[in-house]
Amino acid sequence: MQPLLSLKNVKKSFGDVQAIEYVNLNIYKNSVIGLVGGNGAGKTTLLRLMSGVYRPTEGSVNLENNRPVTEMRSVLGVVPESTGLYSKLTAWENIRYHSRLHGIDDQLAWNRTYRFAKLLDIDGSLHRYTEGFSRGMKQKTALLRALAHGPQILLLDEPTGGLDVTSARTVRKLVMKLKDEGGTVVYSTHHLAEAQQVCDRIIIVHNGIIQADGTPDELLELTQTSTLEEAYVSLTKETARPRMEETEKPSKISAIWRRLFTPSSSLEVNEDE
Amino acid sequence: MNSRKRIFIVAKKEIIEFVRDWRTIVALVLIPLLLFPLLFIAFPIVMQNEAAELNEKTVHVLIQSDEIESSLIMEIENQSVLTTTQEMPANLLTLSDSGNDTERLRNLEYDAILRMEQRNDTWYYAILHLSTSEQSNEARSRILDVLIQWEENLTSERIESAGLDVDSTLNPVRWDGSIKDADVATKGEQAGMLLSLFIPFVLAIWTASAAVQPSIDMTVGERERGTLESLLSLPLSRSELLLGKWLAVVSITAVGVTLQITGLLFGIAYLASDFIDVPSLSVIAILLLALAVAFYGTMVIALYLALAMRSKSVKEAGSVLTPITLAMIMPILLTQFINLDDVEMFWFGIPFVNVLLGLRELLLNRIIIEHVLVWVLVSSIVCFLTIRYAAKQFNREDIITTKS
Repeated sequence: MQPLLSLKNVKKSFGDVQAIEYVNLNIYKNSVIGLVGGNGAGKTTLLRLMSGVYRPTEGSVNLENNRPVTEMRSVLGVVPESTGLYSKLTAWENIRYHSRLHGIDDQLAWNRTYRFAKLLDIDGSLHRYTEGFSRGMKQKTALLRALAHGPQILLLDEPTGGLDVTSARTVRKLVMKLKDEGGTVVYSTHHLAEAQQVCDRIIIVHNGIIQADGTPDELLELTQTSTLEEAYVSLTKETARPRMEETEKPSKISAIWRRLFTPSSSLEVNEDE
Repeated sequence: MNSRKRIFIVAKKEIIEFVRDWRTIVALVLIPLLLFPLLFIAFPIVMQNEAAELNEKTVHVLIQSDEIESSLIMEIENQSVLTTTQEMPANLLTLSDSGNDTERLRNLEYDAILRMEQRNDTWYYAILHLSTSEQSNEARSRILDVLIQWEENLTSERIESAGLDVDSTLNPVRWDGSIKDADVATKGEQAGMLLSLFIPFVLAIWTASAAVQPSIDMTVGERERGTLESLLSLPLSRSELLLGKWLAVVSITAVGVTLQITGLLFGIAYLASDFIDVPSLSVIAILLLALAVAFYGTMVIALYLALAMRSKSVKEAGSVLTPITLAMIMPILLTQFINLDDVEMFWFGIPFVNVLLGLRELLLNRIIIEHVLVWVLVSSIVCFLTIRYAAKQFNREDIITTKS
């Protein structure tokens, strides 16, 4: 079967730091794929490579027709972790802005939006400014925005992070419904239970490497464990590295300047006390 | 969908979002529109009212003299001055030596002290006053007015008593006719001259200052709010994103500059409608003016967008762009002092300065081909380089991840 999206020997580095190391991955139609890993594992970097926000240092990210993802972004719907809504625009204006950039007619985008908004129970808030929205409302609006142009693949970066139980459940139900309708979703999370509940394939990412890729049962069999949590622990024994962003270095001038104004600590431990 | 449409969609959204903040309307519409009318109309009215109020006040003057004429005292008193007369103090080095009278002025017992003394045919005088007090300055000014008039009368009397004609003796050289008639510049040219001092100044200062906030908000501000990542995953190239944002900042700044220039012209028309006309400019001069403004706007805004996008945070962008805005005042000031009749060619090779100088020349309807060619060529190169630099910053992969 031809994959919808494929990553071939993808390597991504930021300066000296290897964020992703030679990943090979195929995303097939009508599936929900969970990217599971801890903080700094490389999930967000992988999603950004899939969405074309990052260019691979080596390798390629291609769509079904073998075209680079950067040339066919309209097949993707992306919900980043930060949701990325404009607070001085209404929910619908946020959605319409993206759908217009996708080249979609306003009426068509509205019809799609309204249908999903009813499912997410947010249809009454579409004409409200997002400024006062709760985290859950923002997440739902970002989902609507990613769906308005009818993408083939939906990329979700921790879509339930920071949501209350009810909102998280609504989001998961929507993902399941999309799958039932033949959709494809890549779902990053660090909650194993959630991944088990929603995804039919789980990819465990650790230190920029794919440690395992398969159905929950396949992962249990691979690790000879009885629960997914045990499987995850056995696959990620190696100490996790810090997040990529935290490894950024200040410029040389900034580093010297900061050193000038950083007093050396004169405190010592007094063993007698 | 074509690229131009995507650029317009980005620009439109940026403008809508920016305009929805009422503080923006105040900063970009009301302040530029009202600044010059307030400065040129309301400010002189307030000044006049204050001066009239001071004029009505009675001031208290101490006259120290042994031989002052009573007619002079009467003249002083006619100026709403309350006088007290006493003898000249002894042991003064000069009449200006305040001696023991300093405290009388400092504690506002008197607003001024007039000392007068006649030595042979000459009157010597001094007015002691406290320059930090408006009322004391007013008292001094009223005494001076009376003394000048009194001196003129005395001079006339002496000339007459010498058997000379007063008018021809005091004014042996004089202008014939109207000074205005002797100026061959038309009213339109004079208007151009006046505007050439103001318009490049307003244009440059307002462009430099009004573009700061939207440039920061639409770049590093967007990154800090977390809206950039979803935007970069759309079918929109980074160049289109830059151009959309550039167009939005240009539009916002252009509205501010236009309103400020409108306010300026209204203020000038109100103050000087009798002797100012519409500047007489040729079509080519108007087209070149538009080109110069476009160059200036492009260079400044592309540079601001690049530096703001390069910054790690809104705070850092602010601390980078604020000194740059202040530095922009330097070329603006420079161009105000350059003599256009004898301007050296190299000035037209200096970026930013050249466009402002070009503007000044064009407002005087002077189209000097060599000058125009140099500033157009240099500005085109600088525009290309600033846009390229901005594009480079927008193409950086870390623009979504750089954190404060």
